[in-house]
Amino acid sequence: MSLFEIKNCKKTFNGQKVLDDISFKINEGEVLAIIGSSGSGKTTLLRICTFLECMDDGEMWYLDNQVVSSSSGRAKYIGQDDLSLDSLNKNKELVKIKSYFGLVFQSFNLFPHWTVLKNVMDAPISVQKRNPNEVKERAMYFLKKMGLEDKANNYPCELSGGQQQRVAIARALCLEPKIIYFDEPTSALDPELTSEILKVIKELAKEKRTMVIVTHEMNFARDVADRVIFMNDGVVVEEGNAYDLITNPKKERTKRFLQKYNE
Amino acid sequence: MSYTSLILKILDGAGASFIIFFTTLLFSLPLGILIMFARMSKVKPLSAVTRFIISILRGTPLMLQLIVWFFGPYYIFGLKLNYSWRIVSIILGFSINYAAYFAEIYRSGLISIPISQYEAATVLGYTKSQTFIKIIFPQMVKRVLPAVTNEIITLIKDTSLAFVVAYAEMFTIAKQVAAKETTIVPLFIAGLFYYIFNYIVAFAMERIEKAFDYYR
Repeated sequence: MSLFEIKNCKKTFNGQKVLDDISFKINEGEVLAIIGSSGSGKTTLLRICTFLECMDDGEMWYLDNQVVSSSSGRAKYIGQDDLSLDSLNKNKELVKIKSYFGLVFQSFNLFPHWTVLKNVMDAPISVQKRNPNEVKERAMYFLKKMGLEDKANNYPCELSGGQQQRVAIARALCLEPKIIYFDEPTSALDPELTSEILKVIKELAKEKRTMVIVTHEMNFARDVADRVIFMNDGVVVEEGNAYDLITNPKKERTKRFLQKYNE
Repeated sequence: MSYTSLILKILDGAGASFIIFFTTLLFSLPLGILIMFARMSKVKPLSAVTRFIISILRGTPLMLQLIVWFFGPYYIFGLKLNYSWRIVSIILGFSINYAAYFAEIYRSGLISIPISQYEAATVLGYTKSQTFIKIIFPQMVKRVLPAVTNEIITLIKDTSLAFVVAYAEMFTIAKQVAAKETTIVPLFIAGLFYYIFNYIVAFAMERIEKAFDYYR
């Protein structure tokens, strides 16, 4: 079953094309890696998928819900007439859709004034209105999974970068999303902490969680992802089985990009 | 005049000064938030008018503003106001003037919070008001505390400006006694009181700042 689909997504920033006709699907239980050089539009694409940015034109579905449709060359978001970020933030129709996904940021973005436990628990309680006792149990379950149960009452500033990122992953998981997006989750970490996070994501992949990962870790993408999309200059250059694409790319541009990693 | 009765007299004035200080804080701290929102509003006329008002409040002497508040209703509207208008006009003048400063301090705190905090909140599904109340405001308070402390200390000394509408606050009384007794001792005593009061405020604010030290 397809959990998410985006079709012909276009985005321009100040007259410069950032995304051009991007289309892809995410199936349940699938891990999709998006690779490509910096500035190729990967992060913008993820931000559009998570409503942090509006697309200019295209279509988008979450499960059976068409969130964005295309009408006369312009994107039309459900429940809003214009294409401004401000309206997107206020869009009440998207609240339910937002609960379908979680996003793990490059720089963690935990709330510094809250304890680890509160960071993980608060959104399920105050956004999803779930039972606090049940949420606490789930939060502790995810923290334990992340190896952080003893840090529940610490503040983010008392944690290492790797630990903070694991809290961010627990925070995303606790909302019980159907898809988790990762935006270069290890870019802010040193190699040791990077492997710590990659290990956690590998575990999640084993549980058949649906994930979309923007990453610069090619070996990781090869081993963990089912499918890989290679982007360059705002277009999808190549898409396919992760192992095949990374070990044996077909397109010249992909070959050149991957060669840089092997040098 | 004996030192005891001198001190008692000045303490009397200190009470009057304290009323200005306390009520100004009480009104201006929350009012500053409203002014900040108006100043940052996306409704252009509202933000433009607020900006203009802030520029007047910050760009003219508080002493003059107090005179306008006190005499304005009579000279502009011909209103006859009773005796209590004096203290009301002082509180209005101080509160609105300080609220303008606080609004700008709050604004500086608000814009210093990284956009990524808003984005994390949006993705998690928090509404705009939840995001402000639960996530942004507490962090803003921590950031603005040192600047707010500065303002509060200035306010303590500024209470002496109420003399301009003949309100018998501490410095006015000290001056009167000094003139009557031909000695500058009362002025020094008043100065000492200002200092002690400021010391207490600075100490309390430092404690509050420390209470926010649990996170960075």
